Amino acid sequence: MQFSYEQHRIIGGIGADDEYWRALEQGEFKLPRCSGCGQWTWPAHYRCGVCGSWEFVWTPLEPVGTVYAWTRTCYAFERVKERAADVPYVTVLAEIPAAGNARVMGILQGSEENLRIGAAVRGLILPPSEKSKHYPSIQWTLEAHR
Amino acid sequence: MSTIRGKTAIVGVGQTPYYKRGTSPDPELKLCVRAIVDACEEAGIQPSEVDGFISYASERSDAQKLMPALGTREVRFAALSWIHGGGIPGALSIAASAIVAGQASVVAVYRSMAESAGQRLRINVAQNDTAAQYLVNGLESPVQILALRAQRLIEADGVPAETLRAMAQACYYHARNNPRAYGRNTVLDDQTYANARMISEPYRLFDCSRENDGACAVIVVSAERAKHLKQKPAYILSAPMGGLEGSGAREENIHPYSTAGQAGVARRMWAESGYAPKDVDVLQVYQNMTGMGVGALIDHGFCTFENAGEVIRFENLIAPNGALPCNTSGGDLAEGFIHGMGLMAEAVRQLRGTSTNQVPDAKLSLMTGGPGDTLTSTALFGTEETL
Ligand SMILES: [Zn+2]
Repeated sequence: MQFSYEQHRIIGGIGADDEYWRALEQGEFKLPRCSGCGQWTWPAHYRCGVCGSWEFVWTPLEPVGTVYAWTRTCYAFERVKERAADVPYVTVLAEIPAAGNARVMGILQGSEENLRIGAAVRGLILPPSEKSKHYPSIQWTLEAHR
Repeated sequence: MSTIRGKTAIVGVGQTPYYKRGTSPDPELKLCVRAIVDACEEAGIQPSEVDGFISYASERSDAQKLMPALGTREVRFAALSWIHGGGIPGALSIAASAIVAGQASVVAVYRSMAESAGQRLRINVAQNDTAAQYLVNGLESPVQILALRAQRLIEADGVPAETLRAMAQACYYHARNNPRAYGRNTVLDDQTYANARMISEPYRLFDCSRENDGACAVIVVSAERAKHLKQKPAYILSAPMGGLEGSGAREENIHPYSTAGQAGVARRMWAESGYAPKDVDVLQVYQNMTGMGVGALIDHGFCTFENAGEVIRFENLIAPNGALPCNTSGGDLAEGFIHGMGLMAEAVRQLRGTSTNQVPDAKLSLMTGGPGDTLTSTALFGTEETL
């Protein structure tokens, strides 16, 4: 399969997260877990800092969690100008209890009523689009509004 | 134990004016030469004597470009302190270590930036190392990323939002006495603060640092040599850099989350210097955003989540009478922003007694590096009697 994100690769960060984007592009939410000690390692890296293993199991997860932090962007920033028409928009940092409380970013979709830290969210996987820089993405929705 | 405590000092400061971003009449390399030459002349040292060159972050005016204009006799040491604004006091630590180890004798620590010579400052500063997870989800600027952390600081850790306003108001109050300050004409009352446009919630316009063109340099020499130069030395008591387990490049998966990531460097700084928060006379706190300034004060032990609201009050943060005079030049918010270097200049001026908002008889002067950075640093300076 030809992946969209590979044609529009963003340089920056650790760079060990290809499997995350591939899975998302195939409609699955996966995070890496050390095959040696079971430690969830997010963002993905090459070696487990806890036990020294170089092997990770990309584990499918239900995209559910809670709001760990959030911000409402009220200005069209240069490097994310694809979203200028959506300003103001909310980005949520969601904590995933089933993955050792790994935190995963996503745009908040739907009602913002009762948006608060600790609120339950569910993710919807979106295919690559111009807004998400031709990467697949996960969009969070507050469970209260589903 | 081997230490750099008190073995080196800042003996010269050179600073170009702060220009509105993109309007510097000179390119950044020329600004840089100017700042280093001014710092040397102030100290009473020939620019050709500078044999060590240290900067941080994405600095482009490196030793090989500077030496022809400075008449450098020999470059003996050159290095870059990694990361972004987090590396500033760390650059001093490298300078002091090089001098103590005999690898250099006159070291310039500097930063120069001119938007006309490059990209928008905040893009240049990001060094194209923003991970995909941010950009895919509409996050690119430090203000947005640090807004996530400020939201957590306020909503989950219970630090009153008024502490952010107090940090901003102290900066703008001090700027009014500082002729160099870009924000000197702004009266930041509660109404003006609250009515300013929202940038990335909870951050409004006046919570954010400025972006300027300009250059700033300091000259570091051994304590022995410092005694025989033109200025009153600002001794480097400690300037540790680093990060504890749980920090580093983790795409918002850092622990702890909402403060400045400076608990580790602060602990080492107090241990190496032999001083404690109660001993400090004046503070220059790097603020990319106000919430990070609050986080820096918590990490350094000046207050806790629980009592931040009592400690971080406007009256307490202003010179000359506040217990915790903070950002006495106006700081990154109201004086100007050459990637935080203006704070180092002001920390030195306070020990010389030449600040426009002087804290009477200041002997211990703290400067914190870029907070919330993936690695960070902090520095304590003292007069001769603190050695
Ligand atoms: Zn492991």
